Amino acid sequence: MAEKRDVVVIGAGPNGLTAAAYLAKAGFRPVVLERRDVVGGLAVTEEFAPGFRVSSVLHAAGPFLPAIARDLDLTRHGLSLLQPDVRVFAPAPDGRAILLYGDAAKTARELEKTSPHDAKGYIAFHESLGRIGKVLQPLVTMTPPSIDDPGLGAIWDLLGVGRRFRALPRRDAFRLLRWGPMAVADLVAEFFETELLRAVVAARGIFGAFAGPWSAGTSLGVILQAATDSNAAGPATFVRGGMGALTQALATAARGFGAEIRTGVTVARIATKDGAATGVVLSTGEEIPARAVVSNADPKRTLLGLVDPIDLDPDFIQKIRNFRAMGAVAKVNLALSGLPEFPAAKAVGADAKNVLSGRIHIGPDIDYLERAYDAAKYGDFSPHPYCDVTIPTITDPSLAPAGKHVLSVVAQFAPYKLKGDWKGRREALGDAVVDAIAAYSPGLKGLVTGRQVLTPLDLEETYGATGGHIFHGEPALDQLFTMRPLLNWAQYRTPVRGLYLCGSGTHPGGGVTGAPGFNASREIAKDLKR
Amino acid sequence: MSAKYDVVVIGGGHNGLIHAAYLQKAGKKVLVLERRHVLGGAAVTEEVFPGFKFSVCSYVVSLLRPEIIRDLELPRHGLEILPLDGTFTPMLNGDHLWRVNDHAKTRREIARHSKLDAEAYDEYGKAMADMGRFVKPILSMTPPDPTKLDWKGLQDLLFLGKRFRGLSGEDKYNQIQLMTMSAVDFLDQWFETDVLKATMSASGIIGTFLGVRSPGTAYVLLHHYMGEIDGAFRSWGFARGGTGAISNAIADAAREAGVEIRTQTPIARIQVKGGKAAGVVLENGEEIDARVVSSSVDPRLTFMKMVGEKELPGDFVDDIKRYKFRGSSGKVNLALDALPDFKSIPGAGAHLRGAISISPSVEYMERAYDDAKYGRFSRRPYIDIVIPTLTDPSLAPPGKHVMSCFVQYAPYNLKESDWDKEKENFGDTVVDTIAEHAPNFKSIIKHRQVVTPLDLEREWGLSEGNIFQGELTLEQLFFLRPAPGWAQYRTPIRNLYMCGSATHPGGGIMGANGKNAAFKLLEDWKRGKV
Repeated sequence: MAEKRDVVVIGAGPNGLTAAAYLAKAGFRPVVLERRDVVGGLAVTEEFAPGFRVSSVLHAAGPFLPAIARDLDLTRHGLSLLQPDVRVFAPAPDGRAILLYGDAAKTARELEKTSPHDAKGYIAFHESLGRIGKVLQPLVTMTPPSIDDPGLGAIWDLLGVGRRFRALPRRDAFRLLRWGPMAVADLVAEFFETELLRAVVAARGIFGAFAGPWSAGTSLGVILQAATDSNAAGPATFVRGGMGALTQALATAARGFGAEIRTGVTVARIATKDGAATGVVLSTGEEIPARAVVSNADPKRTLLGLVDPIDLDPDFIQKIRNFRAMGAVAKVNLALSGLPEFPAAKAVGADAKNVLSGRIHIGPDIDYLERAYDAAKYGDFSPHPYCDVTIPTITDPSLAPAGKHVLSVVAQFAPYKLKGDWKGRREALGDAVVDAIAAYSPGLKGLVTGRQVLTPLDLEETYGATGGHIFHGEPALDQLFTMRPLLNWAQYRTPVRGLYLCGSGTHPGGGVTGAPGFNASREIAKDLKR
Repeated sequence: MSAKYDVVVIGGGHNGLIHAAYLQKAGKKVLVLERRHVLGGAAVTEEVFPGFKFSVCSYVVSLLRPEIIRDLELPRHGLEILPLDGTFTPMLNGDHLWRVNDHAKTRREIARHSKLDAEAYDEYGKAMADMGRFVKPILSMTPPDPTKLDWKGLQDLLFLGKRFRGLSGEDKYNQIQLMTMSAVDFLDQWFETDVLKATMSASGIIGTFLGVRSPGTAYVLLHHYMGEIDGAFRSWGFARGGTGAISNAIADAAREAGVEIRTQTPIARIQVKGGKAAGVVLENGEEIDARVVSSSVDPRLTFMKMVGEKELPGDFVDDIKRYKFRGSSGKVNLALDALPDFKSIPGAGAHLRGAISISPSVEYMERAYDDAKYGRFSRRPYIDIVIPTLTDPSLAPPGKHVMSCFVQYAPYNLKESDWDKEKENFGDTVVDTIAEHAPNFKSIIKHRQVVTPLDLEREWGLSEGNIFQGELTLEQLFFLRPAPGWAQYRTPIRNLYMCGSATHPGGGIMGANGKNAAFKLLEDWKRGKV
């Protein structure tokens, strides 16, 4: 039998690597086990057509916590963030367009040309988000308290948040309370009159969620994002070399602190004795004993797939089954022979490359977004999907052969539970996505030399996310903070002693912040030292 | 100059009357002014067709607070509640679901669809009763202002916190879910039978512009579950003589206490002198002075029409303008020559004595909502039908019947038409929908009254036809109802109070609003703040 480890981490996604790096830094010697041949999980760069590389699944790293990057010295390990001046370009069917910059004042000046009301609203919204974001910021790196037994530390942390809340102007305080449960369509209507602008901002509330802009609670996504990046335009930060470069840097950092990372090894189950985790057993039969097992896999996969049900209370199993993780996101990656033209881009800027360097939003009005969601409710993919598009080769030409481009699309909605078979409908979905973008870029189809379509089923089978959910679980009011993944099990611990969760299925959820891994490592280190 | 009153109450609906009765009993001199010829507001019985009496708007009762029934001795004033037994849901495949108050019978019926669901039904009932017990005291509480907690507000919050902590782990979990989830997501955790979930989820959408899959609807589920008659949870009933009999009993109690009530007295405006309410001016020019004005009509009418923007702080005006009404339901009242004959249970059996719910599947409910989202009434709506003459034959000539159909969705704002044009088309849709289940239906209709959201606004004074004087969504409940910071029945105008459904705890024939407001006003009076 192998030597006993302090910690074994299942899965080398951004959170598993972050947790491993911090634990290694604290003096424990973790081993990270990755099923695939490449580390990164959903944050990975892969070649999808000869010579073309892309961030296979997630394509933006906006909210990765700068504090973690500093702690782990990721820049030295090769991390280089790209922050184009333009955050979002959104074309409308009538040939007009909106451009949102990182600089809110500059954005407002642009908006002023078509709607003074919206220019004013944009600044008000931006500033309010900024103040609210500051109140929420400490929550991101906090371990949610247990409702039954909140520790003193947690109460102290919460009091701190409470004090910040009371320091907010009354109007913002009420906004924070009122917005949480609100439909994002209502929220944007409070600030903007232009349908396109409403849709661009509202889309932030439904990104990655199984919800439309009229679903109550979708404003929450916007508020929570404000805790890491309060810009009204939403984050648009990319990584040189694609998202894989971020996880490679994390892996290098972790190794540097003494962690071992093994790829191509599948964990078959978590070994237990007397209700406590004792290590993991690989598919080869090899057993790796450890004091603590940390799972970067999602809660369902971990607790329903890797733990023997005998070790869990039936009631707990039932609740984990009810944890909602029905993905609605598909990914389409295109290899292009040249830069696609968007005629509407000319309406907002002379330099097409600059205009297209951030995120490109396809979804011109609230009804469009809502209809896209409707299809998913009844088990079909959207005939006219909402698309979050990037052309990473504009800021990082190294991803494609010279002069060629990559177009990366996160498309919604494509429900995991499809009426019919995903394998048979994959290309039809790809066509719908390309059509949706081609409506604004007529020449696009002629440029496509390669295409990769990842359905929610692919996200589950290839990348291991249950239900193909990119956030490991729906970011809904009842599955957040002290309820993520379950009420009173939000402290990264599980009913199996020595087994921890550290992925997006824990607080503060998905979006490549590194925060779940960071928070989990703190709790694990605390327990290991006892 | 007319007589001087301590309090003049605007609107003779159930809340206005209850409010008046409590104030008069406490020794104040009170005048109630009602615009229409009949008291009751939306809780009225009217003889729409000769010999046929209808509970034109609100048609069932269950939420009326038992302490109000006791305090005002309503049974002595003629209130008699007749039980409404069960809910019958016909299905288009010829099957049905028929739940009754007899527990064993309902269990057998549900077991016919699913044995698991029959088991879960018991647990569900118990859990909901527990939740109801937790929420009940909140109904009779004045919501604190979380941004400026005084000692009393802090005590109230602590009281809530303690009660919450006192719940069992299971109940806490359920409570949080109820506050945040969609009705269908919540029910999915308990049940597998589609028609059962569809019918139960219906009570989660009543009076809201939300679908059964929209977060926040689980709360409305509870709101309706809390109904109690004679202490028995979840029992609904009719008032003998129609819903108007409730208002008449309250009016009778109020008059006996000494309240003066005037009908057909429309108010033009509220007199404001030096930032204080000083009385009202009627449409005929008559001025009525009063120390305090209490309004039971909705905030749009109260503030925008009767007070006027210029008397109010700008922030408050913004909040009231933003307050969401968005009526989503209509009524169709029918005079029948005979009883409808349903395909799934033929004949005039006991299944017609309770509620008949046209809610055959979750998808049906959701599609009904989809139509409304895009600005049209549901092509196949959810309908809640009762035939009160089976319990109270006095409402129609011998052998004849009245039928009340509550219909959702009927959005106040139609996109491509208007309600004056669509009124009868809407009526036809409702009749056609019911006729699909009961083939003899069209031939037994003697008269038909269609009440659209526009009618509710014009005739019954409900802005945008919202039956609850504003949506019951989380961002408009408790300390946010009707406006942030103004949930204590007070208003920015001194001596002007609110006591209608637009205040905590919201709509339905509950009466808590009128009573809570009376207590708050009396408390202020004692402290010399009036």
